[in-house]
Amino acid sequence: MRRATVGFVLRRLLQLVPVVLAIATLNFILTKMAPGDAADIVAGQMGHATLEFTQELRREFGLDLPLLEQFLAYMGRLLTLDLGTSLLQQKPVIDLILDSLPATLLLMLTSTVIALGVGIALGVAAARRQGTWIDNLISVSALLVYATPAFWLGLMLIVLFSIQLDLLPSGGMLTIGADLTTFGAVVDVARHLVLPATTLGLFYVAIYARLMRASMLEVYSLDFITTARAKGLSEGVIARTHALRNALLPVITLAGVQVGHLLGGSVLVETVFGWPGLGRLLFDALLQRDLGLLLGILFVSSIVVVLANLAVDLLYGFLDPRISHK
Amino acid sequence: MKSIRIIRASTVALLLAAITFPALAQKQGGTLTYTYFPEPTAMSTIATTAVPVAIIASKVYESLLEYEGAGMKPLPGLAESWTVSGDRLTYTFKLRKGVTWHDGKPFTSDDVKFSIEKVVTPFHSRGKTYFGEVSAIETPDAHTVVFKLKSPVPYFLRAFQPSESPMMPRHGFSDEEIAGDKIRQAKIMQAPIGTGPFKLKEWRKGSHIILERHPAYWKPGRPYLDQLVLRVLPDGSARAIAVEKGEVDLAPMSALPPSETQRLGKFPNLVASQDGSEGLGPIMWLEVNLREKPLSDVRVRQAISLAIDRVKLVDVIWYGQGKPASGPIVSGNPNHFDKSLKPLEHNPAKANQLLDDAGYKRGADGVRFKLTQNYLPYGEEWVRQGEFIKQELRKVGIAVDTQSLDMGGWLKRIYTDWNYDFTSNFTHNYPDPTIGVQRAFISTNAKRGATFNNSMGYNNPKLDALLGEAAKLEDGPARNKAWAEVQAILRNDLPVIFLMEISYTHVWNKRVHGLITNGVSMYSSWDSVWVD
Repeated sequence: MRRATVGFVLRRLLQLVPVVLAIATLNFILTKMAPGDAADIVAGQMGHATLEFTQELRREFGLDLPLLEQFLAYMGRLLTLDLGTSLLQQKPVIDLILDSLPATLLLMLTSTVIALGVGIALGVAAARRQGTWIDNLISVSALLVYATPAFWLGLMLIVLFSIQLDLLPSGGMLTIGADLTTFGAVVDVARHLVLPATTLGLFYVAIYARLMRASMLEVYSLDFITTARAKGLSEGVIARTHALRNALLPVITLAGVQVGHLLGGSVLVETVFGWPGLGRLLFDALLQRDLGLLLGILFVSSIVVVLANLAVDLLYGFLDPRISHK
Repeated sequence: MKSIRIIRASTVALLLAAITFPALAQKQGGTLTYTYFPEPTAMSTIATTAVPVAIIASKVYESLLEYEGAGMKPLPGLAESWTVSGDRLTYTFKLRKGVTWHDGKPFTSDDVKFSIEKVVTPFHSRGKTYFGEVSAIETPDAHTVVFKLKSPVPYFLRAFQPSESPMMPRHGFSDEEIAGDKIRQAKIMQAPIGTGPFKLKEWRKGSHIILERHPAYWKPGRPYLDQLVLRVLPDGSARAIAVEKGEVDLAPMSALPPSETQRLGKFPNLVASQDGSEGLGPIMWLEVNLREKPLSDVRVRQAISLAIDRVKLVDVIWYGQGKPASGPIVSGNPNHFDKSLKPLEHNPAKANQLLDDAGYKRGADGVRFKLTQNYLPYGEEWVRQGEFIKQELRKVGIAVDTQSLDMGGWLKRIYTDWNYDFTSNFTHNYPDPTIGVQRAFISTNAKRGATFNNSMGYNNPKLDALLGEAAKLEDGPARNKAWAEVQAILRNDLPVIFLMEISYTHVWNKRVHGLITNGVSMYSSWDSVWVD
């Protein structure tokens, strides 16, 4: 790696510290602004709790301390990378996150591969046949998929592939209690992954296909493409070697920005498919007002988003050597 | 409601068949998979008595007694016999010998004393209700426990259910956890050691929990099942699909949306049953803030009650899964429900008359006054019910704004801030009305921050006196009379608008047998459940 690039990465990593701390502060304020707390929720679940009981819970959870004291304690712990303990599950937050993060990363990565692969291919195909029925079909289909709610799409995929055709499991990440070999386990997880990854990915297929089409058309109008055509290169070669790489930049930029959005989307998809990932954990933490866990997840996910954007910046240099990291 | 009645009848027939022909080839082995959401946060009802925790913890932990039938008749459990003194102040339990914890250590009277004194009474949400009158627990030998009471507690023998007073091992807690009052945060809450028929094998958060049979369980040949699996599926439709596909055998305690329950109940391989929750007595009402006009006027509350068509509410919003309420005690309660009570009347004309008499005339827009409604944030049926109530009240000239809050916000607004007009709510009678009904209406419970208590600010000295009396009387005609009076007063005063008795509906695959045994069946140990 060039020195300039190493310097760039280090600078960006340093910038990450204030960004993440600012996000943590904002998260803390936002979660505290919501009415009710974990003691209310637990007391409510008990179905019959006295005031003393609720106050006792609040004391146990440390929620009776002044807000500033709670904030300083939280930030103090954060600086030493201690995310604390989940109020309700009584487990270290970091353990809960590390248990569920791989499932979410697998889901996000697979759906991103599906979204980019299919989206780019469809975008290129539409651009190369601009104005034909193929172009129209791709554009209209993309719009339809874009407008379809993910939870509904997920349920429809379950009805079709799981109930009607009986090809794939309806939910979960693996067959519970099955005694599988390593290869068998990989296949098992892959079978469980198909529907949630497709559901999450399809939304982005639509976006990337539309964007790629527009980007390709823009590149096609540039002089160097005219030159390539004048040189007698075939349309296929022009698309692959000249237009594609240049047209990819906006798509990659968007893909980086979309990581945060993808993480948000995974909450819905993981809920529909019972996928035991970070989105599910976030959903539970939010419902239960499990503040420590909620803040921990938001902290880790903000790091994931910032790092994903850094990766995209680095990818620019690879795709277009004219961009340097100064 | 007709289809549900048919289902109930067929369930009872199946139950009878199961009881009449016990040797109908109960099969040893196999796995029962059930689904529920949310996922339990702990594996003990000491941490929380939330439904998902109570379901799974009662397979791992036991108490001194077991119970039979909807009336919850006590039977020997960890205690093989018991005696009650004539003055009902001394209960002596003889413990079963040879019972071991999941880690192989013996279960003794010291564990009972420790469990009640150090764990259940101070930390279980109903611990003080059950054991607050206990003055001493004596353990003359390793297999005898004597409870001394300060005054008689009519429901004392109903306290020994696994979800209400689980027996926990003294050696399962560290000295620091006990000394530091860290019982609810103790490691054992996540990694249980019980005496129950099942022990924890694997807990993958967000995905599943596997319990396996406790090989040294004290009942010979039990449990029948090898494994019990909880699959965590957050989406209601996805849970229904898993049941439909046979990936899951059981969705207990209304784990499925009512529309899905109705759909799946028609499948030939599935059973939808409303039995086995009589000991919980779930009931729904509109909690009314009595502190301000116009709701402080009893005529207004009576008008609201008259304006609501409860039969339609049950049939349309809840797909027939319940029945109109007649008062604070559910009609399924075999001991304390006043059987002479008629259903609450639906009569909009009378409601209009009452509102006119109370001085709330209709304005030019037909509206008498406006109210704000909150609803329990438990899912879409509660939202739809809110819309239904709004429509019904509009017909008698009451305009309703509906306000949506999540659970944390709702609890704070209703029970801490008291900043509401009326809200839907549901609660449990539990096996005795002194436990489940008294708390909502006794004036001493109108305290800020106390959840599912008297949020209305209801204060009726006559009722307080009756509740106090009923809490001490022995079960029998005198106690029933006191409870009948309580029901009559509350039906007239309407500090809450009684809506419907909820029926917890369970959907299971017909390959599962022996699920319903008593009034809290999903909180039973399931040692006698078997699968084809």
